[in-house]
Amino acid sequence: MSRPATPSVSDPQRLDALTSYGILDTPPEAGFDGIVQLACRLCDAPVALVSLVAGDRQWFKARIGFPPCETDLNRSVCAHALAQPDDLLIIPDLTADPRSADNPLVTGDPFIRFYAGAPLRTPAGLVLGSLCVIDKVPRPEGLTEVQQADLRLLAQQVMDLMEMRRAVTARDSLRAADAQAFRTRDALRNTQAAIAAAEGDLDTVLHAVVTGAMQAVPAAQGGVIELLSGQDLEYRAVQGVVADHQGLRVPLNGSTAGFCARTRQPYLMIDASSDPYVKRDLVEMLQLGSAVFAPILSGEAVLGVLKLQSSLPVAFDERDLELAGLFAGAATTGFAEAKARAEVRANDTYWRGLFERLSEGFIVGELIRDAQGRVADWRFGEVNSAWGHLVGIDSTAARGRTIRELFLGIEDEWVSEFARVVETGESSTFTRQVGVLRRWYEGRAFRIDDNRFGVLFLEVTGRIEADARRAALLNLGDNLRDLRTIPEMIAIAAEVVGRTLGATRAGFGRVIGDVEAIEIEPDWRAPGQVSIAGRHVFEDYGDIRAHLQRGEPLVINDVSTDPRTRDHAASLHDIGVAAMVNMPVRERGRTVAVFIAHDVNPRIWTHEELAFLRNVADRVEVGVARVRAEDMQGVLNIELAHRLKNTLAIVQSIASSTLRNVAEREPVEAFERRVLALSRAHDVLMQKSWAAAKMHAVIESVLSMQAEKDRFALDGPDLDISAQATLSLSLLLHELATNALKYGALSADSGKVHIAWRTEEAGAAALVLDWTEVGGPAVTPPSHRGGFGSKLIRMGLLGTRDTSISYDPKGLRAEFRAPLTEFQAQVH
Amino acid sequence: MASRYPAQPSYVLVVQDDPILLMMMVEFVENAGCEAVEATTVAEVIRLLETRTDIRTVFTDLDMRGSTVGMQLAITIRDRWPPVELIMISSQPWEAAKIPARGIVLGKPFDRRKIEAAIRTFAG
Repeated sequence: MSRPATPSVSDPQRLDALTSYGILDTPPEAGFDGIVQLACRLCDAPVALVSLVAGDRQWFKARIGFPPCETDLNRSVCAHALAQPDDLLIIPDLTADPRSADNPLVTGDPFIRFYAGAPLRTPAGLVLGSLCVIDKVPRPEGLTEVQQADLRLLAQQVMDLMEMRRAVTARDSLRAADAQAFRTRDALRNTQAAIAAAEGDLDTVLHAVVTGAMQAVPAAQGGVIELLSGQDLEYRAVQGVVADHQGLRVPLNGSTAGFCARTRQPYLMIDASSDPYVKRDLVEMLQLGSAVFAPILSGEAVLGVLKLQSSLPVAFDERDLELAGLFAGAATTGFAEAKARAEVRANDTYWRGLFERLSEGFIVGELIRDAQGRVADWRFGEVNSAWGHLVGIDSTAARGRTIRELFLGIEDEWVSEFARVVETGESSTFTRQVGVLRRWYEGRAFRIDDNRFGVLFLEVTGRIEADARRAALLNLGDNLRDLRTIPEMIAIAAEVVGRTLGATRAGFGRVIGDVEAIEIEPDWRAPGQVSIAGRHVFEDYGDIRAHLQRGEPLVINDVSTDPRTRDHAASLHDIGVAAMVNMPVRERGRTVAVFIAHDVNPRIWTHEELAFLRNVADRVEVGVARVRAEDMQGVLNIELAHRLKNTLAIVQSIASSTLRNVAEREPVEAFERRVLALSRAHDVLMQKSWAAAKMHAVIESVLSMQAEKDRFALDGPDLDISAQATLSLSLLLHELATNALKYGALSADSGKVHIAWRTEEAGAAALVLDWTEVGGPAVTPPSHRGGFGSKLIRMGLLGTRDTSISYDPKGLRAEFRAPLTEFQAQVH
Repeated sequence: MASRYPAQPSYVLVVQDDPILLMMMVEFVENAGCEAVEATTVAEVIRLLETRTDIRTVFTDLDMRGSTVGMQLAITIRDRWPPVELIMISSQPWEAAKIPARGIVLGKPFDRRKIEAAIRTFAG
């Protein structure tokens, strides 16, 4: 404690060493206090100090009997101890020693007189201060040897304590740094986990970043991410003191965050009150003392700024800035994740939207197997809304249910076909009805994996039914053309209507009076339905006459709700009618008949079905009219035949009377017989309405008036021949047979005639007829040209004159040719 | 009959409302060696049969005015005068079941040979 500070006081090495112990200005500690007590007692002194000599003062870590905790170096005696590091400094009378005589503590209060100090020496030999005892009376004898040794030991104890203290402090601060690092890592990890779990939800990501940053930077009282939005930054994920400011917008130009965003550099705002960039009104509003800002970057672009703030100035340091940067980086990752997720979601939404917007039904099905591993059913996975529309069931209700649950009694093929697709991997195309829905679907099924398949399909009920109706009409047309009776036609038409429309009854009835009653023909019924054939009075079934009287179809979708029939629904239900159509058939402006379709269940008769029924009714009416016309034609034909035959009889009578005086009766009879042959030809022709005849019948008919059947052998195809050919052939054969009877084979009992004919296709198609007589008398050619008969024979078939006659002695042979096109009837 | 009553002519009642056809039918009867008695109405036929017991055969046209008159007459004759033979001509075919017993229907126009043969068989 003397005035001039020894040069060693300011030795920087010594001062650094002192600082390294970190002991200056720390609170009293029991270990040091114990040592000064012990020093007092051992040296029997009133004052003891642990004095540390800093560059500008001496500071007492422990003291007894001396109030101040420090003094300037002018008052320090200990400073002199630095000069003798190896030994005690003992001054028996401070007033007598030049180093301390002037010391204020000596000259003034507390008037110290004796000093003995042991140096506090580091292992490196640097003296930091001393452990000293002081007395207020001089001690000329100083300290005893024992006291000196004790003081040295105690000084060593002080140094040991200081060393230990320094080691502990070093360890603690290391631990603190570790803890901080751990906190940071933990916070970062939590943040990253939260970001990962956020599934790209931006708000969750931002919240996680701010939470983590605040956890990592304990000084932060508030945190926010300010997202770039146009020329502003918008407060998001607000926490702590700024929690009330979600959505706050601050300008990019004219705010500290804006500065950070524009420079893309982290920024430490040490003191808001003096910050050059701060937006002044925010300082109070946000209770802004200091803050750190870190930009959130995506490549070159700035997305926003992470801000951590405190109401205190200088709350943050560079390390906090670094941490903020770390979390801002995490936010960048989160943004990228969010963006990627959003893209995936958008993609997913895109495809899903596409499937939803498809007009085709789309489903994914999963096979369900029984205990034996056979596919027994399948479950709906994905189902788009078009499916619901096409099937008539809410799509969302189908998911998770099986097809057999949804459609009780559905056809097995709806399971087996898709099972096959999954098993073989071969896609299949189908057109099939769901019977319970009465709807048809066309589509394609394809395999997805070992257990699943996809189906894309459209409803084609309209097309299939239209095809069925078209086919039915064609079929009906064919049938009606071939049928010859009205009841057959009605039966066929009723069946066609019933089956094609899937109705439960169909029939046809003749209307009686002014649509008063109806006489229903035997009807077609689905199994289990009763016949309603017979007479019915319209009014027994409701107010249903008016439409039919006007010639309009009577269409009732549900007899129990339709105002025309609901009061008579019971009587209709009794005969199995819940829905009905009566399609009128008109004749000369009156409804004369009705085509009927019934269904045992209510149903909506579609426009197409009604058109079909109309079409059938029309065709039946046309068919009926044709049959009637044909019947009428038949009656007329018969009548005409009678008149013709009667007239021919009269012609015979006139000829006979006219030629009564002719002596020779043979020409008269020949004439009569030619008329007869002509009439036979007409007989055969009449059977086919005079348009055609069967060749065998023609030949047999004309020859039967000449001789027994067994005299003739016929050999040739039974052609349909024209009316002209019939007459020509009849007259020709009549003359040939007449001659054969007179002169040829038929004049002898054993004689016969072979008549053979064929068609020749070579060149112009021709019919060739051979007349060959056998077993008659020897033939000689006629001596003269002969009369009408001979001329007729030479004229041949159809007057072609293509005739060759051979008077073979064994029997006459003749060949006749005619163009086949004229000979044969044109079959319609 | 011819053998029992060789001197007696065989009378055949010819029924025909058309005079030209009547001439032809009478010719057939005469060519067959019989005597023709002519009638042109149903009433006449009935009256003649009621009065003339010597008429054993009726030769009638079924196609008389009024479509079923001819056949009605034939049936009536078979009913009232069962022994009388019936030779009928017609321009239309008749079902065998509708033809009175022992009756024969021949077609039009006439097949002289068949008609004259039939008259000879029944009345000759």
